[in-house]
Amino acid sequence: MSANMQATRRAFLEAAAGAAGSSAALSGQTQTGGEIPRRPFGQTGAQISALGLGGFHLGSATDLNEARTIVDTALDAGINFFDNAWEYHDGRSEEWLGAALKQKRDRAFLMTKVCTHGRSRNVAMRMLEESLKRLQTDHLDLWQIHEAIYDNDPDLIFKPDGAAEALAQAKKDGKVRFVGFTGHKDPSIHLRILAHGFPFDAVQMPLNCCDASFRSFEEEVLPEVNRRGMAALGMKSMGGSGELVRSGTVTAAEALSYAMSLPVAVTISGMESVAVLKQNLEVACGFKPLGGEEMARLRDGCRRAAADGRWELFKTTTKYDGAVGREQHGFPNAAALPA
Amino acid sequence: MRRFGRADIDVSALGFGGHHLGDAADVETAQRLVREAVDGGITFFDNCWEYHRGKSEVWMGKGLKGIRQKVFLMTKVCTHGRDKGLAMQMLEESLRRLQTDHLDLWQVHGVSFENDPDLFIRPNGAAEALAEAKKQGKVRFVGFTGHKDPRIHLKMLATGFPFDSVQMPLNPFDAQFRSFEQSVLPELTRRGIAALGMKPLQGHGEAIQKGAVSAEEALRYAMSLPVTTTITGIDKPEVLQQNLKIAQNFQVMPPAEMQAIRDRAKEYAADGRFELYKLSLKFDNPEARLAHDFPLDMQSAEVKEMLKATENTGRPYPEGN
Repeated sequence: MSANMQATRRAFLEAAAGAAGSSAALSGQTQTGGEIPRRPFGQTGAQISALGLGGFHLGSATDLNEARTIVDTALDAGINFFDNAWEYHDGRSEEWLGAALKQKRDRAFLMTKVCTHGRSRNVAMRMLEESLKRLQTDHLDLWQIHEAIYDNDPDLIFKPDGAAEALAQAKKDGKVRFVGFTGHKDPSIHLRILAHGFPFDAVQMPLNCCDASFRSFEEEVLPEVNRRGMAALGMKSMGGSGELVRSGTVTAAEALSYAMSLPVAVTISGMESVAVLKQNLEVACGFKPLGGEEMARLRDGCRRAAADGRWELFKTTTKYDGAVGREQHGFPNAAALPA
Repeated sequence: MRRFGRADIDVSALGFGGHHLGDAADVETAQRLVREAVDGGITFFDNCWEYHRGKSEVWMGKGLKGIRQKVFLMTKVCTHGRDKGLAMQMLEESLRRLQTDHLDLWQVHGVSFENDPDLFIRPNGAAEALAEAKKQGKVRFVGFTGHKDPRIHLKMLATGFPFDSVQMPLNPFDAQFRSFEQSVLPELTRRGIAALGMKPLQGHGEAIQKGAVSAEEALRYAMSLPVTTTITGIDKPEVLQQNLKIAQNFQVMPPAEMQAIRDRAKEYAADGRFELYKLSLKFDNPEARLAHDFPLDMQSAEVKEMLKATENTGRPYPEGN
């Protein structure tokens, strides 16, 4: 994600925070004083907060001090789900989260992602050791395969000596409690990974009110994940960088409320400043899922603008695809592609 | 020659693409291309109401004068979600330009967006126009086309409308990326609907220029799939001769050879970079985007090129609809 995109995102969210009253227009919500709901993490017995702190944006904070403040504020507000990935900001996101969670590790449900992008099990196990070291812990609560977004990823993940074997091994070694995979591109890739029958505990996917009408994870993947008793983890509730809000179809509060009202264990949101965190907390504290009518209103309101995918750039462009992933697949750098 | 779905009609396994005909040097070249194609055994002729703002149809109509009965003539209707009345106007215009009193096949053009199936089947939508035109005897068969996403094709089929044909991109890259070959083609075979392949060279031939597969391999691959015809663009005599040679000597590829080509294409296929018509918003038809109220990025070089190619002014065509 470019610095420019982050700046744009922050600017819009701060502007939207000033108009936080817009969320009051949503039915079924209490705005103040409530707790962030806890939800079951699949059928594992673990409980996690309905709002999760995204790891990429944590590494976009001004400095370690700000990152600490964000993590402390989140913990105190009742967020226990912390997302990260081995490759975010070349390790900085993990290092800052590790430093911020020092002495507080037991209050967190800690997730990070492994970034083999098709490479072998050994690469995955080395990444796990590095993640544990940076995060200053001896175990992860959840370890996920990052960014399954290419049509040959299901084959690469399940090849002999591939990443799926690393997940099984790490679980057996007690270094991770649960395992899963993530991806933002195409529901059919998620379904092909699920079709392998591997015992994933969690599956992460983009879920928002435009997704409902375009290459829809909500329609195609979410029911399947729940049918299998796995924990569904939502992301990109506002389009990845606030595109949905900028589109003028929904407010930030509406977008987050929509995503959190789906049958998911958690909605992971990037919050690179205390201001953005507080804005999300206004929705999440005392959150009650929107009713069916309200959900339909938001979905229908987005349907026409959603149908060509221009607000979900992670599905329709290479903008959100990691350079390392492209490189490891032998694809040319996105900058070298025709528009 | 191959069967057109369940109908008792044969069409040529290679189809003459109408868009490229409008790129021919002049009307005389276009007329000659059409006649030589017919002489070479091509009977399937593709066209579309909006190609080159009518030029493709006018030129093909001139080229087919006197030999109309020798060919299986298709054109497409370009409502892009708009209503039946507009579709019927377009049909009359197409018939006039093509100098004929009936089409063999009339297809809904460019089903690309997630709401297209809803817009098609809605009351007073294009579906009603297809049924009406067939009833009036102005068209023998009806179908739809699109290059974007197999799931949109499947949603069109799920409307339950009795299509005679469905057109889609089919090539060695498609086989492994958002694949029409894997998800749509078997469904058509199952339903007895004529499958029409297009973009055998991935639309603009990028992969061929880069040496991933040869033009001949790509065309033979597409023609070896269980399709009625493979439509390919022909804008020059040498392209016609090259394609006729491949088609006249054509033998279905053995499965092992098809697999070898798929394997070779595999490393290029998985991110879709040689199938930009599935990926990039910039390959969307500007006419269709305008009809859907989707914005056009007028700063983008690709949009500018496309507007130029379609002679579009950036306003919906026909204006006033």
